[in-house]
Amino acid sequence: MARSAADWLERIQTLDLPRKVRIMNVCGGHERSISQAGLRNALPPNIELIPGPGCPVCVCPEEDVYQAIQLALHEDLTLATFGDMLRVPVNVRKTEIRSLEQAKAAGADVVPVASPQEVVALARATPERRVVFFAAGFETTTAPVAAMLAQGIPENLLVLLSGRLTWPAVSMLLNSGDIGFDALIAPGHVGTIMGPEEWEFVVDDHKVPAAVAGFESDSLLASIYSVLRQMQDGEPFLDNCYPSVVQPGGNPMARKLLTDVMEVTDANWRGIGTIPGSGFALRPEFSRHDARKILPDYGDEARRRMGEMPAGCDCARVVLGRIYPDQCRIFGVACTPRNPVGPCMVSDEGACRIWWSSGRRTRAEQAAE
Amino acid sequence: MTLQDSHISLAHGNGGRYMRELIDEVFARHLSNGTLDTSADSVALSLPNEQIMFTTDGFTVQPLEFPGGSIGSLAVHGTTNDLAVSGADPLYLSLNAFIEEGFEVAQLERIVADLGQAASEIGVSVAAGDTKVLPRGHGGGIYLATTGIGVFRHPGKLAMSEVREGDILLVSGPIGDHGISVMLAREQFGLRGEIRSDAASVLPLTKALRSVPGVRFMRDPTRGGLVSVAHEIARATGLEITLEEAAIPVRPAVHTVCDMLGYDPYYLACEGRVVAVVAPDAAKSALSAWKSLAGGADAAIIGELHATRRLGPVSLKTEIGGLRFLEELEDDPLPRIC
Repeated sequence: MARSAADWLERIQTLDLPRKVRIMNVCGGHERSISQAGLRNALPPNIELIPGPGCPVCVCPEEDVYQAIQLALHEDLTLATFGDMLRVPVNVRKTEIRSLEQAKAAGADVVPVASPQEVVALARATPERRVVFFAAGFETTTAPVAAMLAQGIPENLLVLLSGRLTWPAVSMLLNSGDIGFDALIAPGHVGTIMGPEEWEFVVDDHKVPAAVAGFESDSLLASIYSVLRQMQDGEPFLDNCYPSVVQPGGNPMARKLLTDVMEVTDANWRGIGTIPGSGFALRPEFSRHDARKILPDYGDEARRRMGEMPAGCDCARVVLGRIYPDQCRIFGVACTPRNPVGPCMVSDEGACRIWWSSGRRTRAEQAAE
Repeated sequence: MTLQDSHISLAHGNGGRYMRELIDEVFARHLSNGTLDTSADSVALSLPNEQIMFTTDGFTVQPLEFPGGSIGSLAVHGTTNDLAVSGADPLYLSLNAFIEEGFEVAQLERIVADLGQAASEIGVSVAAGDTKVLPRGHGGGIYLATTGIGVFRHPGKLAMSEVREGDILLVSGPIGDHGISVMLAREQFGLRGEIRSDAASVLPLTKALRSVPGVRFMRDPTRGGLVSVAHEIARATGLEITLEEAAIPVRPAVHTVCDMLGYDPYYLACEGRVVAVVAPDAAKSALSAWKSLAGGADAAIIGELHATRRLGPVSLKTEIGGLRFLEELEDDPLPRIC
């Protein structure tokens, strides 16, 4: 029988823990669940939970958001995107339009959507008008986009794809030499699609304890207990603490759709740079629906080089788990959910936004004073 | 008989025959009572020689009809509930209807009938009204506004200023049903469900607490939900509120939809619930007064007010014993993307 969250917590409390254990989570949904359940203040103080690179909105390249804004402003089309993307700011002067939300307010036809089905319905309802679906997301969000394209979509629907794979980012962190964590909680939803095996390299190549977790407190605490035990026993293995949902091999149908429709490419992560084999691009068979091939490119090399994070914004280091959100110099000062400077303060999956929402309103330095 | 036309046209707002037919055959037919006189410019109200309470509200809900209610019933419940939680018995309503050109008369009939039924159930009379027709594209089908008059009947004072450290918070039933019901009715997310709105009159609930000494304050958690009411109380009193996650009633189906879309039930609107602040020794009797009513079966004691500094003005003791800060609502909750 499955243990309850309280049981797991009790078992963790009875462990003989080292002075400090740093456990990184990959998924923004995990960070949200951890904050909402108040896990940090329920766990022993020597356990540090570090939010990692798992916010698709945060890592979506600035040039892609810029391109979406320019398309909405200058081309005769409807720009549909997930609600989280609307408020992500790009690095332009304050007098210029800085987000899709501002473009919408200025009269551009920008529509927030919640699913690919909604975009298809929108395109069907307006056959004479071009609809561009700006689809940013990880494997879980990109697989339904692949399914949509595989099923056949209206001719007037184009996709501006900004899909990313999660494991290459963790691989890059582990290969960087400066590993800022002792154990890893792998993303449950990604595991549902891709299978838990994707994360075996963490254990096999790097000897770092790892466990796949779901989003309820019981599964998260089980995964924390698992990696602590792995550390204690000195025998790391990839544990699956979300077995009800994450099956070996993942979802073969979803993986086939991803392979049929998209190819894996090197891709830029905002503030981090290019990570090999970490992005999805549409295969040539889908070129006529590829907004990157059909529509003009508004970016240029000069702004691409400078267009990473705004001045003072430390989102890149937050995404990599190198600093906590409240260690950024502008956290809660210049950067708040109402006036976000960096992308991590925008999305409900962004570590800065989650920390702000969970009551951290001032910088760590200030709080210490 | 009903109106001959199938759709509202601008002529129904021109002051002439079409408008008279609309008022008589749709509005007056469903709302007729001893006070409403559609031929008069104003109406004489007989009011008792007691404290009179007065309030107003506007209604723009989309979709106009949803499981458990419609903009019509909402226009009655929204305004009369504001009177009820203030300790009043609602007596009279005025009604303004702003109808968009092209609106289907059959739907208008349903909405006005719903409104009339809700009013008669509470025993409140629609005593005055006005209709306007807006050109096509200038309105979401129909907007309503109601103003309410009531008479204060609660035996003691009800105000935030009565709230004391150590007081207890109660809620009269499961939260978030209305918010989720309306969201599902929009069919925006491709989700279907049988969650009915809790839209209802809270008058039986507020009346039941009149016999309980030690009731300090009541409010109905509408837009912004339970957390917004808690923040309002915390701000006005300077006290902090800790809510108990395990005690707050939320239907499993509401939890499921919230988990899928990244919403938080504590911020979702209710339209038929009451949050009450009561003295510590009154909590049990207030709870049993509610639980004996059909609309209060799931009532619960959900938190307390205290002066000690914990996380912030409003926090939630989670089921695993953690403490979660509940921020004031920042913007419209949007669905998350993974």
